[in-house]
Amino acid sequence: MKNYFEINNVTFAASKKNKVDNVSLKIENEGDTICLLGPSGIGKTTILRTIAGLEKIKSGSIILNGKTISSETIHVEPENRNISLSFQDNSLFPHYNVIDNIKFGVDRNKRKTKKIHLDDVIEFLHLENIKFKYPHQISSGEGQRASLARSLLSMPNLLLLDEPLSNIDQNFKEEIQVKLKQILREYKITTIIVTHDSYEAFYLGNKCGIILNSQLKQYDDPYNLHHFPNSIEVVNFLNKGTLIPATVIDEKSLENKDLGLIKGDFIKHYPKGSKVKLLLQPEDLEHDDKSNLKLDVVDRKFRGTNFIYTLKTQSDLLIQVFVHSHHIHQHDIDEKFGIKKPIHIDHIVCFD
Amino acid sequence: MEIELLEKRINIWYLSSLIISIIVAIPVVVISSSFFENTSEYSIILRETFLLDYIFNSLILLIGVLSLTSVIGIGCAYLISFYDFTGANFFKWALILSFAIPAYIYSYSLSAFFENYGTAYSILRGIFGEGNHNLYIPKLDGMLGAIIAISFSIFGYVYVLTRVSFHYQSQNLIDLGKNLGFSKKKTFLKIILPAARPSIVAGLSLVAMETLSDFGSVSFFGVSTLTTGIYNAWIAFDDLTLANRLSFYLLIFIFGLLILENISRQKAQYHSPSKDSLKTKNKIKLYGYKSAFAFIFCFLVFFISFIFPVVQMGYWTYLFPKYLFELNLINLLSNTLILVFFSCSLLIAFGILSNYGNRITKSKFLQILTTFSISGYAMPGIILAVAYITFISYLDENLLQLKNYNIKSLFIGSIFGLILVYFIRFYSLANNGIKAGYLKINYSIDESAYLLGYSKIKTFNKIHLPYLKNSIFLVIILLSIEIVKELPITLIMRPFNFDTFATTAYAYASQDLLEAAAAPAIMLILISSAFILITSKLILKDQQ
Amino acid sequence: MKKLLVIYCFLYFFANSIFANEVNVFTSRHYDSDVQLYEKFTSITGIKVNVISGEDAALEKRMIEEGNDSKADLYITADAGRLGLFDKKDMFQNSISTIIKSKVPENFRSENWTAIAKRARIIFYAKERVSKDEIKNLRYEDLSKPNWKNRITIRQSNSVYNQSLVASLISNNGIVKTEEWVKGFVNNFARDPQDNDRAQILAVASGEADITIANTYYYALMLSGQKGKDQQEAAKKVTPFFPNQNDRGTHMNVSGAGVLKTSKNSENAIKLIEFLLTKESQEHIINNTFEYPIIENIEPNELIKNSNLGNNFRQDLETPVKEYSIYQAEALKLMLKAGWK
Repeated sequence: MKNYFEINNVTFAASKKNKVDNVSLKIENEGDTICLLGPSGIGKTTILRTIAGLEKIKSGSIILNGKTISSETIHVEPENRNISLSFQDNSLFPHYNVIDNIKFGVDRNKRKTKKIHLDDVIEFLHLENIKFKYPHQISSGEGQRASLARSLLSMPNLLLLDEPLSNIDQNFKEEIQVKLKQILREYKITTIIVTHDSYEAFYLGNKCGIILNSQLKQYDDPYNLHHFPNSIEVVNFLNKGTLIPATVIDEKSLENKDLGLIKGDFIKHYPKGSKVKLLLQPEDLEHDDKSNLKLDVVDRKFRGTNFIYTLKTQSDLLIQVFVHSHHIHQHDIDEKFGIKKPIHIDHIVCFD
Repeated sequence: MEIELLEKRINIWYLSSLIISIIVAIPVVVISSSFFENTSEYSIILRETFLLDYIFNSLILLIGVLSLTSVIGIGCAYLISFYDFTGANFFKWALILSFAIPAYIYSYSLSAFFENYGTAYSILRGIFGEGNHNLYIPKLDGMLGAIIAISFSIFGYVYVLTRVSFHYQSQNLIDLGKNLGFSKKKTFLKIILPAARPSIVAGLSLVAMETLSDFGSVSFFGVSTLTTGIYNAWIAFDDLTLANRLSFYLLIFIFGLLILENISRQKAQYHSPSKDSLKTKNKIKLYGYKSAFAFIFCFLVFFISFIFPVVQMGYWTYLFPKYLFELNLINLLSNTLILVFFSCSLLIAFGILSNYGNRITKSKFLQILTTFSISGYAMPGIILAVAYITFISYLDENLLQLKNYNIKSLFIGSIFGLILVYFIRFYSLANNGIKAGYLKINYSIDESAYLLGYSKIKTFNKIHLPYLKNSIFLVIILLSIEIVKELPITLIMRPFNFDTFATTAYAYASQDLLEAAAAPAIMLILISSAFILITSKLILKDQQ
Repeated sequence: MKKLLVIYCFLYFFANSIFANEVNVFTSRHYDSDVQLYEKFTSITGIKVNVISGEDAALEKRMIEEGNDSKADLYITADAGRLGLFDKKDMFQNSISTIIKSKVPENFRSENWTAIAKRARIIFYAKERVSKDEIKNLRYEDLSKPNWKNRITIRQSNSVYNQSLVASLISNNGIVKTEEWVKGFVNNFARDPQDNDRAQILAVASGEADITIANTYYYALMLSGQKGKDQQEAAKKVTPFFPNQNDRGTHMNVSGAGVLKTSKNSENAIKLIEFLLTKESQEHIINNTFEYPIIENIEPNELIKNSNLGNNFRQDLETPVKEYSIYQAEALKLMLKAGWK
C-alpha cells in the first residue's frame, strides 16, 4: 500500500549542533495525525521547516501524496507545496488585524470542495473578542490561536504545527485539544505536531515519534510507546515509570530485593538468572493496607481523579503508585504504605 | 558543496544587490587607488605645518558638534517624550523643521547677524543709538560659529531617532526604575538613556559623518579642518592624489568609530519594540518653574535652529525683494522637483531591491558589502563627485574605448549623471531606512506567507510593502530634503543652464551677496519645510 | 507623438545641449551681470550661451576628465594664477585674436587667455589709528615691519587672492626675501585669519585691527548701500590706500577667459570674449561688479570715482599676471610655513 507521506533517510540539519540524523517515518493514511516529541532544542522545528520546504536536504527524500517534494535534486518551493506551518512564536502579519490574518488562510482553500467554516474556527478557538485587534495588541496565547486558525483554514495537504498550544491558557487547552482533534479528523487533514508535552502527543497523535540525541528513537502508537518503550532513554524521557534492578527467575517471573516476586509475560526472552532493569509503571502496583510489603511515603500528589504516591524502598529506590481518589487515604509523608503482593504486570519490559 | 552554494546564491536578487554595491563603491575604490600614485611636496609641507592643527580642529569640531547635538537632541526628545508642559505638542513637530535649514545657509545667517556691523549691530544701534556696539556682540565665527551652525542644522537626526526610541520604551522599564527607588535623574541615566543607546548612536553617527565631511560651513567660517587640508591639496597644490588619500583616512576614521561603537555594545541586549511599549505612557505633568524651564529649553532650540535663520533670510528678502522677483521660480522649482523625483524613485527602488535580495539570499557577503555603502555619505560631496568623474573618464578611455559612443557626456554633465552621483551619495540613507523597516518584519512572517501559498513577489506586494510603507515614505522625505539642500555635487555635475535653489543661493553667497542669496535660500527652506510639514505626523508617528 | 516624447526625455536626461549655434561657458564667476551680458550677446549674434558655474577647481577637473568629449568652449575664472595653471595643463588653445591683442595690455594676457576685467588688492586702514607718516608711501613690503605688530588683519592663506599677491611679491623680490616678509607679516596679525575681505574691512572699522589688505570691490559693495546702512557707514570709517605708488604699482589681479583646446565652437567663443571687451560690456561689468575695466577710456563708476578708488592710481604693469601661476604654489608653501592659517 502506498503511504500518504514518507520521509526516507533524511538528515535534518539547521546547524551542526542542531540536527537529527537519518530519519525515516511514514504516515500511512490521509487524515492521520502524528506527533513528534522531544526535549527543546533538539531540532524538531528544523524537521517541520524542512518538510515545509524552508530548508533544503542533502540526501534522502520526502514524499507527499506520491510526489517527491524534497530530495538531493528536487526542491519544491514552499509556496507550491500546499503545506501549512504554524510557527511556535506566532507569525501573524503585524499590519493586518486578526480576522484579516486568518482570511489569508481562507484564500488558499478556495478550490477545496469541503471547507472549514471561518465562524466555526473562530468559535472553537475563542477568537471572537480579538477579531479586530492587531497582533501587537493580543497576548502570545491569543496569537497562537489565531495562527492555528489561519493554518487550519488553509486546509493544506499537510498541516505542520510547532508547539501549537504551548502558550495557551490551561483552561482553554484541553477544550481546544478536543476540538482540534475533531476538526482534523472530520476534514481529513494530515497533521504533524511537534510538542514536548507527552499527554498532548498521546492524545492527538495516531502515532508519535520520540526524538532524542539527534535520532528518532521510537516511532509508534501512543499505547506502545507507553507500554513498550524501546530504550532506557525513551523511558527516562517519558518519565512515567521507574527502572528497578531485578533478577529473572523463570519465564513468567522475576525478583527484586525490596519488592519480592513480580509476575507477568515477558516481551523479550531473558535467560534465567539474568540481571535486568525492569520498567515499573505507576499503574502496575496496587495498594493494599493489609499487605506486609510496607514502604515509606516520600511524597503525595493529589490529582483530582487520583493520588500519586512516591514511595521509597529499603534500598532507596523511588517508585510511584496510582490510587483512586475516592479511597480515603491517611498515608501522609513518612507513614507506611502497603502494596499488594505478589506484584503482577501484564507486559514485562526489561532492559539489559 | 561549492557548486551548490553558487547555484543557490547566483540569482537575479544576488546579482542586482551586487551591482548596486559595486556602483556605490566606486568612490571608495577611486580614492583608495590614490595610494598607488605619487603625491606632491604638499604632503611634506602639510605634515611640517598644519596637519596636527587640522586633525586637532577636526576633532574639536567633531566633539563640539556631537556634544551640542546630544544635549539639544536628547534633551528635547526627553522633555517631549516624558513630560507634559506648555507647548510640548507644538515643539514635538516644530523641532523637526530644523531639517529644512542647510548648514551653509545657517552659516550665512549666523555670520550676517553677528559680524561687525551686522544685523545685531543694527538692532543695538536702533535701541541704544550710535556707538561701537561691535565690542559687545559675541563673535560667533570661527570654530564656535561652525559648531553652532552644523549642530543646529543637523541635531534633528538625534532628536527624531531618540524620540522614536523613547517612545517605544516600555512603561514597565520606567516603572521598574520607580520601583527600585531611582530618582528621575537616575532613571534617566541608568534606564532610559542606555535603552535608547542604539538610536542615539545612529543619530550621532549621521551627525559625525556630516560634520567630518562638511566643507561649506567650515570654509565659510575659516576653520581649518582636515577638509581644509583636502581642499588645499587639491585646489592650491593641484594634488588630487593627496586629497584622495586624506579623504580615505577620514573614511577609515569614521568606519573606525562605527566599528568601535559596534564592538562596545555587542554584548548588551537592547530593547525591541514590545507590545507593552505601545501603551500610552503616563507623561508627568510639569507645573511652575519646571514647566517654564522645559518650555524655554525647547523654545530656544526651536528659535535658534529655525526661527533665527528664517527671520534673518526673510528680513533680507524683505529688504531686497528684487532678488526674489528676479528668481526664475518655475524653472528652479521644476529642476529641484525633477531631481527629487527621479533620485528618490531610483534610490527607493534599488534600496528595496537590495534589501529584498539580501533578505532572500541571506548572503553574509552581500550584507557586509552593503555596509560599505555608507562611505558615500561619509566623504565630502565634492570629493565623491570628482572620484566619480575620474572613474567615468578612466572607464571610457582605458576599458571601453567605444569610438562611436560618447560615454562621458552620458555620465558627466547630464541629469542622469547628476542623479547617479546623488544615488551614490544617498544610497546608504535609503538602504538603511528601508533596512530599519525590514528589521521589524520577522523572517518567519515571510515563511508564513510562502506557506500560505504566496510567491516571493506576492509576498513582497502583499506583506512587505504595506508594512514598509511608512519607512519608505519617511526615507523619501529625508532624501527629498537632502537633495533639495545638496550643493557641491550639483555644482560640479550639473548640465548647462541648470540651476537649483541651492546653486543659486551659493552663486550669490560666493560673490559676497548674502542678502541676494536670501531669496533662493528662503525658497529652499520653504520647500523643505513643506516636505516636513506634510509628513511631520508620519515622522513622529509611532509606527507599529 | 509618443516617440517624440521618448526622444525628448532621452535628450533631457542624457544630453548636455542640443543647439548648433552655441557657445558653452564654464565659469567660476557667478555674477548676474555676466548672465545679462551673455543674453545681450545672444540677442546680437544669435549664438546661444550655455553656462555652468561652479567652483574653479571642480570645473577644471571636470573639463580635464571630460577631455576630448568636453562640451566646454570657454572657461572664465577670477584669478590669473588659476588661469595660468590651467593653461599649463595644455587645456587652452591660442585664442588671442588681433582684436583682443589691440584691446588688452600685454601683461594682462598670455598667448592662450586674456583678462576681461581687473581687480586691485589694496590697503584699507583706520585713519584715527594709523598716522600719516605710517601710511605715506606705504608698500606691501612694509607691512612686515614691527610697527604693525598686532595691527593687521587678512583672510586665510587658502584665499587665492592672497596666494597671487604673495606670488607677485616672489616674482618681484625673490623667494628668500618674500619668505622673510611673510614671516614678519604673519607676526603682525591682530587676529587669526578668517572670513572674507569685507569682514576684514569691517574688522578695521570696528577697531579689531588697524589695517588690512582687501580687494576694492568688497569695499565698493558696502559703500553702495547694498549691505545696508550700517555697513555703508562702517565703510566710510575706513580709508582705501593704493600701495607701492612710487615703485612698480598696486598688485593687480584679473578675471580672465580662455578658449579650450577641445572647443567645438571656438569661433563663437572668441566672439564672446571680444564682445566682453567692447565698451558697453566693460561698462556693464564695472558698474555691476565694481571691478576695473581692462580696456582704455572707460569712465569709472560714479561711486568708485567719489570714493577715491578711481582709475588714476599706478597699477603694477611690470609684473605680468601670468607669472602668478608660476609662484602660487611656492607662495602658499611660504605662507603655511610661516603659520599663516
